[in-house]
Amino acid sequence: MLAAFLPLLTFFISLFVPVKPAGKGAAAIFNIGLSLILSGALFLKVWNQQSFHFRIEWVTIGDFTLYTGILLNNLSVLMMLLVSGIALLVHVYSTKYMQGDPYLHRYWAYLGLFCFAMLGLVIADNLLLMYMAWELVGFSSYLLIGFWFTRHTAVLANKKAFIVNRIGDLGFLIGIMITLTQFHTLDLTELFGSNGLVANAVVKGGMWQSQAGMMPAGWLTAAGIAFFLGAVAKSAQFPLHTWLPDAMEGPTSVSSLIHAATMVAAGVFLLARIYPLFGDDVLLIIAITGAFTAFMAATIALVQNDIKRILAFSTISQLGFMMLAMGTGAQAAGLFHLVTHAFFKCLLFLAAGAVIHEMAHVKDKQGIAFDPQDIRLMGGLRKRMPVTFATMVIASLALTGLPLMSGYLSKDSILINAFEWAEGHSGLAKLIPYSALLTSWLTAFYISRLIFKVFFGELRLEQELLVHVHIHEAPSAMKYVLVVLAVFCFFPAFSLNPFLFEDAWILKGFPVTDSMTRVNLFHTIIPLAVNLIAMLLIFIAWLWYGKQQRKPDFSASGLFRFAEGQWYIDQFYTNVLVSGFVSVSRLVYRFDRVVVDGLVNIFARAAKALSVMAAWTDRNIVDRIVNGAAYLTGQGGRFFGHFQTGRLQHYFVTMLLVVLAFFIYKYYSGTI
Amino acid sequence: MIPLSHFMIISAALFCIGLYAVLSKRSAIMILIGIEFMLNAAILNFVAFSRYDKFAAGGQTFALFAIVLAAAAVAVALAIILNVYGYYKTIDPTQIDQLRD
Repeated sequence: MLAAFLPLLTFFISLFVPVKPAGKGAAAIFNIGLSLILSGALFLKVWNQQSFHFRIEWVTIGDFTLYTGILLNNLSVLMMLLVSGIALLVHVYSTKYMQGDPYLHRYWAYLGLFCFAMLGLVIADNLLLMYMAWELVGFSSYLLIGFWFTRHTAVLANKKAFIVNRIGDLGFLIGIMITLTQFHTLDLTELFGSNGLVANAVVKGGMWQSQAGMMPAGWLTAAGIAFFLGAVAKSAQFPLHTWLPDAMEGPTSVSSLIHAATMVAAGVFLLARIYPLFGDDVLLIIAITGAFTAFMAATIALVQNDIKRILAFSTISQLGFMMLAMGTGAQAAGLFHLVTHAFFKCLLFLAAGAVIHEMAHVKDKQGIAFDPQDIRLMGGLRKRMPVTFATMVIASLALTGLPLMSGYLSKDSILINAFEWAEGHSGLAKLIPYSALLTSWLTAFYISRLIFKVFFGELRLEQELLVHVHIHEAPSAMKYVLVVLAVFCFFPAFSLNPFLFEDAWILKGFPVTDSMTRVNLFHTIIPLAVNLIAMLLIFIAWLWYGKQQRKPDFSASGLFRFAEGQWYIDQFYTNVLVSGFVSVSRLVYRFDRVVVDGLVNIFARAAKALSVMAAWTDRNIVDRIVNGAAYLTGQGGRFFGHFQTGRLQHYFVTMLLVVLAFFIYKYYSGTI
Repeated sequence: MIPLSHFMIISAALFCIGLYAVLSKRSAIMILIGIEFMLNAAILNFVAFSRYDKFAAGGQTFALFAIVLAAAAVAVALAIILNVYGYYKTIDPTQIDQLRD
């Protein structure tokens, strides 16, 4: 638990303790390093051993008690180790990459919050706590993507990331509600343990029955889809992937963290955590979505020119592979790919970051306006940045899945699983493994295009702008991080046998499907096919981009533009959904203005007229009566006041007159 | 023998003179004198009427009482006037008008 809270400490230190940015960076690295060490200790203790579950009572509502706590099993300790490991490397890298940024303290704070959120997510023992961490991941990624908030595009990008993620969050929340209604608990062990409620629940006669309750079977599918929707948004799957390329507006080190270990991994992690919940229909949907996303993103990556965007689409594509693995029942293979991908994608991003860093330096120093992320302006960096070049090539080979690399093990395990799964299915499902195969070839092509364009040939920036620039190797802090990551791209970190993924230790830590045993032809043919054609494609890419030989010009073809426009999904959203929303809201606004406001105004006018009348009555009738009475009294008082002269003789005269009058009256009335 | 009507006429004249003095004079002393005139007019009437009351002579007795009472009243009135003067430094009744509204 301490391991998870250390980055939070970083967050508070960076925000509230007034030290120099360098000190904060050191504190942040120290915290995350300690986190890594603790994670490592926990990993050794828990991996393939008894899982650790600690919980306390949280809230009690009526007779329902919600517990909260931490759950450490194989899955969470693996993720903890991965997250803290990658985060440590990114922290170290950031000390150089973000050097001199005026808001560095905020950067460390957000980074700490981000790591805390992700670690919290992986150790949470119930769905609600997980949901909270999930939201926190979304929020801190929002902060980090918009870290350079003075850029308009960054603000748009983080807003987009946040909003798209909200859609997924809604799905997650709906899933939680359905689960809570059905099982009356949110505890992960109780729900999804080997003898848990979900495993014991059965669908019988159209009803989904569990020990705690029953509901129509449709809800089972609905819950699965709702949870999957959450994962789709977080892990950038079609159709909610559009935030990820835009998220490239953040600092490259952040992109690397998001892509490798934290943000996008959360979706896959979620699927792995609640795996028993998914029925066959939902799994099929997951597999199709994954395969389609992988293919789509790979085609888009073929034609992009922004170095970070290529990597972003590559991430989407690889996440598609993980989803495909989940959907085809190869949970272990998906997680294995998650881990290997974390390392090589992190490396790719950090190396790209080093390149961008240097290009941006040139831009600042020479005062030339150009896009430092455009690969069309790069080239020939192989000689100037040898370490970056070497590590990036290693990562690319891993991404392509060539033998001796980690990617070979994990990707082949996914592909082989997919083929075996397709054996048992018919129709559209048969297409899935072939599309995955095609995607892995496309991967080989786009990543080699990137490498050849950036590192081979001549520096096109010099040629185009006719200037001579100095580009040299990245600072040592960044360089060593790259080397460390490169080591993890090789097979020994995951399996002692470089050709057989079945020996990988991560796969043995999870429920194993029967395809893990080497039984049939697929296990030989597929790696062979993948690699031979991948090599061929790399060779073609080398001819086209490395040697600058004549290459066919696709840029006029419709398919090229379709891919370059990112399948026009963004435009579709903007034109159809966003503008639809805008016009609906405008309509509602007008309705509000005309009808509601009109009604209110009419009422107001009527009330005003009434009140004018009332005021007139009040002033002219009521007031007149009151004033009249007062006036009369006043006049009377003034009149009688005249008699009160204070002179004795006047009183005397009055008295005399009264007496006289009395006598006169008596005299004439004749009673005297 | 002087007829009764002569007494009555003198008495009425005295009364009217007193009344005039009370109503018109600007000095409390003169008002007091006017009051004495009116008292004496009444006393004169008592004495004149007592001629027709030969056995008891009640009219004359009553006149004596009235004279004594008038003397006492004058003493009190003079004391009041003296106090009024000490307070207001005037005995003009038109200026002592603090009771007006």
